Amino acid sequence: MSFPTTDLLSRRVPGHALERAFYTDPAIYAQDLEQIYYKEWLFVSPACELPETGNYITYKVGDYRVAIVRGVDGEVRAFHNSCRHRGSVICKEVKGSAAKLVCPYHQWTYDLDGSLLWARDMGDDFKPEDYGLKSVHCRVLSGLIYICLAENAPDFDTFTEIAQPYLAPHDLSNAKVAYESRIVENGNWKLVWENNRECYHCSSNHPSLIRTFPEDPRVSFLGENNIPDFIAEHFAACEAAGLPSAYVVPKNGQFRLSRMPLVEGAKSFTMDGSFGVHGKRLGHVTKEDAGVLNKFHYPSNWAYFLPDHCMTFRVTPISPTETELVTCWLVDKDAVEGVDYHIPHLTKVWMDTNTEDRRVVEDNQRGVSSPAYVPGPYSPVHEASVRGFVDWYCETIGPRLLPASVAAE
Amino acid sequence: MSTPSNRTTWAAWTDSEPLECVAVHPEIPNAATFSFRASSGALFDFDPGQFLTLEIPAPDGTVHRTYTISSSPSRPRSINITAKAQDDSIGTRWMLDNLKPGMRLKATGPAGTFTTVRSTADKFLFLAAGSGVTPMMSMTTCLWDEGRPLDIVFINCAHRPSELLFRQSLEHLARRSSGLDLKFVIKEPDPYHPWTGYQGRLNQVMLGQIAPDYLEREVYCCGPEPFMRAMREALAGLGYNMDGYHQESFGAPLSLGDKEKPFEDTSPSDDVAAEVYFEKKNTRQICAQTDTILSAAKSAGISIPTGCTFGLCGTCKVKKTSGKVHMVHSGGITEQDIAAGYILACCSNPIGKVSVDL
Repeated sequence: MSFPTTDLLSRRVPGHALERAFYTDPAIYAQDLEQIYYKEWLFVSPACELPETGNYITYKVGDYRVAIVRGVDGEVRAFHNSCRHRGSVICKEVKGSAAKLVCPYHQWTYDLDGSLLWARDMGDDFKPEDYGLKSVHCRVLSGLIYICLAENAPDFDTFTEIAQPYLAPHDLSNAKVAYESRIVENGNWKLVWENNRECYHCSSNHPSLIRTFPEDPRVSFLGENNIPDFIAEHFAACEAAGLPSAYVVPKNGQFRLSRMPLVEGAKSFTMDGSFGVHGKRLGHVTKEDAGVLNKFHYPSNWAYFLPDHCMTFRVTPISPTETELVTCWLVDKDAVEGVDYHIPHLTKVWMDTNTEDRRVVEDNQRGVSSPAYVPGPYSPVHEASVRGFVDWYCETIGPRLLPASVAAE
Repeated sequence: MSTPSNRTTWAAWTDSEPLECVAVHPEIPNAATFSFRASSGALFDFDPGQFLTLEIPAPDGTVHRTYTISSSPSRPRSINITAKAQDDSIGTRWMLDNLKPGMRLKATGPAGTFTTVRSTADKFLFLAAGSGVTPMMSMTTCLWDEGRPLDIVFINCAHRPSELLFRQSLEHLARRSSGLDLKFVIKEPDPYHPWTGYQGRLNQVMLGQIAPDYLEREVYCCGPEPFMRAMREALAGLGYNMDGYHQESFGAPLSLGDKEKPFEDTSPSDDVAAEVYFEKKNTRQICAQTDTILSAAKSAGISIPTGCTFGLCGTCKVKKTSGKVHMVHSGGITEQDIAAGYILACCSNPIGKVSVDL
């Protein structure tokens, strides 16, 4: 017997995992896309993936296909990747470069700003200005490209204003992608997030990560008025060095920023704790023990900003039980591979960690798919942030599923 | 009846009399308009578009510099030049730093044949880039002052909006005449100032959008040589009769009387043979320079995918492995692709022997 999502939400036990349907049901998966991924701001890519005019990337989320393009004016714009003629996709590569956006079907030719420049033999009454590419909201936040598929995008300025000072010292405008990995985890997107939000599992699953990442749960998630001295001292030392560090979470819990210490003596996420990039470090962080700026923004991005390099992670649902995770390692654009950094040394910790996380997420999915699964309680010590994610999810999707007349109250 | 003026003579200024600076107005960064009068009260007579040569007492010795007159002969009591100093400027730099009202400079001229005065046309297309706008400012003001109905499409190009010379003056004129169709084209906007007008390099497509009747217009073009060459190629490629095209090379050394020499563009000729070699097919096609790589391929029985056939959509992009082509495209290929040896077959004429990777 199946229950509407709203009923499942209303009988949810606080501080407990979600019921099975949230991780398996195609109807709830469709609602997740419709109500979350099609309405919220989504991280797509570091802007340094589009260094030149005409560079583009394409992104598929649910049924939508989006092309993100750098124009002749340097602006990054996003368009629905569908020709205004008979709908063919226009940009076919995952990453490409083009002088104009030209439909491969009948060569309708669009300028990089989406306006239709030319369409052959469409008659005298045809008005090209009526057939520009449909635009998608697009913002570049300190070198990170976000899009929003909604007709009316929710507020992004609050997040921008808070995040910019944190990101500025890392100078992503001068970054390049040293390495990119794309994996598909056979698990619901919410399981991927829940796993990311705690380090309860780290000691047994992440031998590479815990060489440098503290297992103290407060490094993963600080509650209100619960700042231990070593973290307070770290914040103060970083702020004194010009690095915004204090822990920030908005009321609805959609994002988090904080600059946390690493294990004593560690400077970066490498196996030996040394910098992954020597010489040409990315950004202007001179304090070598500044630790890691942790950032997440639901539903699609978490990221780490270190004094030498940065990492972005993009979470995209593919099906009820499949999620794509794209990880980018960013280094200074002038850093030279083999001289300033070596890919295995730079990437090993998180290549290992992603693989380990995929395993635990897939194990988790197999278990919750069983009809015998009953949601259990979160650890109040270690899993406060998992609870934060699940609360954000339920409180975001819940009101949107109510009939319009009720929701408008 | 009273005399409208206390002048007793209406003498025309001659260059035996030095010019007296009466005003300096800043325009855009590193550019100013300098106004001069004749102390004797003589009036200035010249053709709009003509230039003066000033003798400038620069620190390392006197230099002579040629400046187009930006004012109109319809306003003869003073004469203006508008000058922008480039980074390596000596003469203009000196003027910007030192020339003040009351100072006198020796000048020769006016001279030059880049003018609308002798034109019988009544429809004009003015193409200006950077300080190349100065002669067109004079011509437009003169035509406007004459009271004739104007029919001018005026395209003023600059790197950024803040570097557009005479933006406000031209807008003021355009507000008072429906016959002055004014367009600005810029390469990139100023930071934090949205630009909603035309942007990019002025090309065939933009020309067609801005002045659909360009074939009927007399064209006056002034700006850096690459700009003027691009305009010549764009117009010639669109079938414009180049007899109606006039240009001034501003910044060129003073050279009186030889403005009429033909342009030295490589323009493909239909009585010169060329050869296209299709490497993968191991096929040679003899053709004329006026044929395109696309038409040569067709003659050789080789099919290249095409769309617009005028260099916009880029569908016919092919790699050129050797030889030279004359390509006039409309933005359908990136600079990086051109640098990597790609051409658009539809708008590339073979010059001599050309090999392509087909």
